Amino acid sequence: MNNRIKELRARYNLTQEELAKKVNVRRETIVFLEKNKYNPSLKLAYDISRVFEVKIEDVFYFD
Amino acid sequence: MKKTVVLFIIAALVLITTGLWIFSGHSEIKPAELISLGVIALVVVFALFVGYKRLTSVKKGEPAEDEMSKKVMHKTSSMSYYISLYWWLALMYFSDKLKFETHTIIGAGILGMAVIFAVCWFVYNFIGDRNE
Repeated sequence: MNNRIKELRARYNLTQEELAKKVNVRRETIVFLEKNKYNPSLKLAYDISRVFEVKIEDVFYFD
Repeated sequence: MKKTVVLFIIAALVLITTGLWIFSGHSEIKPAELISLGVIALVVVFALFVGYKRLTSVKKGEPAEDEMSKKVMHKTSSMSYYISLYWWLALMYFSDKLKFETHTIIGAGILGMAVIFAVCWFVYNFIGDRNE
């Protein structure tokens, strides 16, 4: 599973730390998500998509 | 926060116990004991490192642990348990061949388990958890 977190984060001018605080996780988790080294839970995926005001499938997608 | 305090207490207890062991009637440290001391130092450094990571996260306003760190810890626990079984098996085999004393074998077993856990934790923190 891939994601567009880095791209959306840049669009919303958010740092990894700010996004981490918004979705209540540690910064490392955002780093791992952006590197595609971690697949989030449904709740975290939902929280992240809410921050970017898009659907989950617009953030996370399968190749 | 409670877990962080527990981590620091464990590290302090290990250090105090090791200090007592070294300074109570030990004239010289044997090479085998040096290895044990090295592993103890590794365990203490690992505990302090994890505790420090948790503290810095809390200071930044982030949670001390989140879903990824919990997942990594679960994977680390299961994998280190699995590898530890083989570690004990190897110890049993070599204890017959090399005639180790019982307390040496138990000590090596426990210290080995600690090292295996630390190594697994670092590996899973590096490779992450894609679960695919």
